[in-house]
Amino acid sequence: MNEPVQQPNTYKGNFESLWQIIDTKYCYLDYKNINWDSIHTVYAIKVDTVKSTFPFFDLMGNMLNELKDGHVNLYSNFNRSRYWKWFEDYPTNFSSSLIKNNRYLGSNYLIAGGFKYAKINNGTIGYMYYEDFSDAFGDSNIAYIMNYFIGCKALIIDVRNNGGGSLDYSKQLASYFFKEETVTGYMRHKTGDGHADFSTPVEIKTPAHKTIQWQRPVAVLTNRMSYSATNDFVNRMKQAPNVTIVGDKTGGGGGLPLSSELPNGWLVRFSSSPMYDASLQNTEWGINPDVLDSIKVADQAKGIDTIIERAITLLK
Amino acid sequence: MKKIWFFFLFPVFSSVIFAQNTDDKKYLLTTKTNTTGISTISLLDPYLSPLTYNGLAISISEDARRFLSTENTRISTQSIFNLQAGILLNKALSSDLMYLAANYGLGLSYHVSPVKRLKLLVGGLWDIDFGLKDMERNVNNPVNLDMSTNLNLTALLRYAIPLRRKTLQLQLALQTPVLGYMFVPKSGASYYEMFDLGNLTDAFHFSSLHNKRGLNSAFSVYVPFNRSVWHFGAKANVLRYSANNLVFNRNEFSLLVGTSLDTFNFAGRKNKAPKNFISTQE
Repeated sequence: MNEPVQQPNTYKGNFESLWQIIDTKYCYLDYKNINWDSIHTVYAIKVDTVKSTFPFFDLMGNMLNELKDGHVNLYSNFNRSRYWKWFEDYPTNFSSSLIKNNRYLGSNYLIAGGFKYAKINNGTIGYMYYEDFSDAFGDSNIAYIMNYFIGCKALIIDVRNNGGGSLDYSKQLASYFFKEETVTGYMRHKTGDGHADFSTPVEIKTPAHKTIQWQRPVAVLTNRMSYSATNDFVNRMKQAPNVTIVGDKTGGGGGLPLSSELPNGWLVRFSSSPMYDASLQNTEWGINPDVLDSIKVADQAKGIDTIIERAITLLK
Repeated sequence: MKKIWFFFLFPVFSSVIFAQNTDDKKYLLTTKTNTTGISTISLLDPYLSPLTYNGLAISISEDARRFLSTENTRISTQSIFNLQAGILLNKALSSDLMYLAANYGLGLSYHVSPVKRLKLLVGGLWDIDFGLKDMERNVNNPVNLDMSTNLNLTALLRYAIPLRRKTLQLQLALQTPVLGYMFVPKSGASYYEMFDLGNLTDAFHFSSLHNKRGLNSAFSVYVPFNRSVWHFGAKANVLRYSANNLVFNRNEFSLLVGTSLDTFNFAGRKNKAPKNFISTQE
């Protein structure tokens, strides 16, 4: 029962501690073909030259960015490192002003449980925008929304620019669109220090809601900023009947993040438990839509959201 | 008939005045010691953080003991209940950890008196631990639960020092876990996977001296005053346990103050308080 040796609170000690946390606990080193030992060699030399805290923080942040993971951050009292290339290097494919055009939400849209919603396309299609899976909602919110859309032929759920939040809300929102409980994915976790030490996959099931179910056609709109819990939602909805995913590939974020600490008190967040789709394929790099489309500049100039229009056409 | 319960309370050491009573029937008293305490805690929970957290906690506890029967004054039963709440910080003061703990136990002790004024109680105590450690800054592992049940060995030495009219008592109590069952999550397993997806593989572990060692030692002085007995104590509690390649540590030092009372429950409007009592403190 010997405790692991704690590194000293020095630049070198904090670097070794951070490197070791990722080496033993990060779940995608093999999947992403990252040679973490080489990265140690490169950054250990740089640590020896660091003279103050801010450059040291930047150096550690840069080392973490080698993981190319939006779920990896280093938190100090003065800064938070982040990797945002998973959406910065891609077309935006979303404009909040565009969805507030009178053609879509307009200015008199309704708000319930984090959903902004309105009838569009002459009242034939329900449109709901959900921008954060941390926004709480309940059955009563959904019941009111679906009742409001009762005369609509189809529904659009827009989760573009939704960076994630609670997996419980992801499961709950998806449950309104399933007729029966369905295995929609799998999860594993690290069981040892080795890069390939993983547990047996455990099923992620999406239940069918007992009383509230939308059984007409649905389009889920995605872009690169559909990340983390939103990625999970899209993965679930891929298995739902009558659902089409429209837009850009999601940003990914398929690893459930956990946290740890360095001797100097900085917190590191990292992907720990990889999540898979129903075919046991990793979802870390994102989920492809059923119908790939992007917002065209000419449409945007006219106040038209190309992706919403594509969904309307599909749902007709 | 509607029953009315009375509580008859008096200081533990005054019970000796009833020993001369000629009434043959004897009644068992329950000795209850209620204490409040303040503790310094040092805690390592590698599921939450590799850093050790230190801080202060407050606690309340009740210890109740009585003989098994009036015929058998060699064996006593014991029940304990403890509640503790504290705030702990890491060394860099960048994060805090809220700590809540509850413990309930039932035990049996065998009483021997090797020399005059000295009593030795040895026995066992079965207890249930429930604790919650909340580190809000963490993302999907902000909480870890302490859940365990243990069979402990207990020993208690009590020495009576007669004063002019009353008796001062010194007491040393020791307790150590021997066997049990405990919840320890795997370091990579999230509570989402364990409790939402129901994957509790390797989360519960048999515990014995090979993976759980601890010693709870408390030194107490029972000081009689006019109508009450006050209890002053110091307690040191060290605990180390390990599972799933994680080693947990908790070291605690507490200062305690409280009162000790012998109690007897009896019912009925016409009943009078009985006069012959047997207390475990005699």
